[in-house]
Amino acid sequence: MTAATETDRALVGRVAKGDRAAVRLLFMRHHARVYRFVVRQTGSEMMADDIANEVFLELWRQAPGFEGRSEVSTWLLGIARFKALSSLRKKKEDWIDDDDAAQVADGADSPEVVTMKEDKGAALRRFIDALPEEHRTVIDLAYYHGQSVSEIGEVLGIPVATVKTRMFYARKKLGEALKAAGYDRGWP
Amino acid sequence: MSAAEKMSRRDEMETLLPFYLNGSLEGAELEAVEEWLATDPAALAALGEAEAEFSSTAASNEAIRPPADALSRFARALDAEAGPVRAPAASSWLTQAWGRFTAVPAGVAWAAAAALLALVVVQAFEQPGGIDSDFEIAGQQGDLAKMPFALVTFKPDAKMADIVAFLGEHQLKIAAGPTAEGVFRLGIPAATAADYEKVLGLIAAQPFAEAVVEGRKPVDGG
Repeated sequence: MTAATETDRALVGRVAKGDRAAVRLLFMRHHARVYRFVVRQTGSEMMADDIANEVFLELWRQAPGFEGRSEVSTWLLGIARFKALSSLRKKKEDWIDDDDAAQVADGADSPEVVTMKEDKGAALRRFIDALPEEHRTVIDLAYYHGQSVSEIGEVLGIPVATVKTRMFYARKKLGEALKAAGYDRGWP
Repeated sequence: MSAAEKMSRRDEMETLLPFYLNGSLEGAELEAVEEWLATDPAALAALGEAEAEFSSTAASNEAIRPPADALSRFARALDAEAGPVRAPAASSWLTQAWGRFTAVPAGVAWAAAAALLALVVVQAFEQPGGIDSDFEIAGQQGDLAKMPFALVTFKPDAKMADIVAFLGEHQLKIAAGPTAEGVFRLGIPAATAADYEKVLGLIAAQPFAEAVVEGRKPVDGG
């Protein structure tokens, strides 16, 4: 995005005045990331499709109340997170249990021999995807969405200390999984 | 420093590394990580591990492909939403034509007007003695599919003469469009990323440009 193009905040200002073109532009800028975030939250592309659309309709409706205290991308991810959780509750789907973390290292559905044939990057990707939702989400938000500790706290509605704790355990589990798969790693 | 304290510091640094990599770390935490990277031999290996996680996370996310028709479906849903009505501004012939579309839903009107815009551009080139420029429509020359491009929408009160003159002056080409939402794909004959950015800035600065989104840009590390 060039400096000459309007900032996200300026576009939200236009949306607040009823400018539909501005909301379409924000959609073009942010939809892919919001959609991917919701897919990773819900595990359902169909659900993510509906929710991502709803996020931008919510932007249209709520723009006059946007105070600009956070980045627009953080605001959108926060709305997406709320809607994803609401949809999951409605469908009575369970979150991935923390106990699933053990499976990352145990490799119950991924025999070690298979892991050894993978390159490290592919193994790492599989381990990240297999992290418990609350851990994978902070990994996604930091590494893919470029969010700061405080922004992740805002999106997830948790204290910054909890963000750091989740990041610590997420990376620790990844390290343990890599070690179990035969990849040397200095930490943990 | 005891082993326990050292481990605790290592844990803290490992926790902060993702935020160091995404550029969001600041203040004392940033200084602490930089000092650690500069003084602990294990730190650079740790940074490499975090970079691998960074790449793998990006790959996992980008493997998820959003639906191709998401924008058009969103535009239809947006049309159904209440909100202030945008008023056409200028009193050009295009505006008068635009006015004939305002009786239909906003999205349909916009799409129709965008199609009208494209039609007029084409007609301008078919007229004898018409606009003499390097401006081209997709399919007339070259491999537009490989050309750097940007996505652009025009304001409903945009004047055709202004748009055509600008496109011709900068050798821009309509590679595709308009979509149902009035989005044009403009081919940009830029050899470097800097040239591309410059043209994007020029487009965005034009009074007829409503929205400009970066598409494919030249890869030159610039």
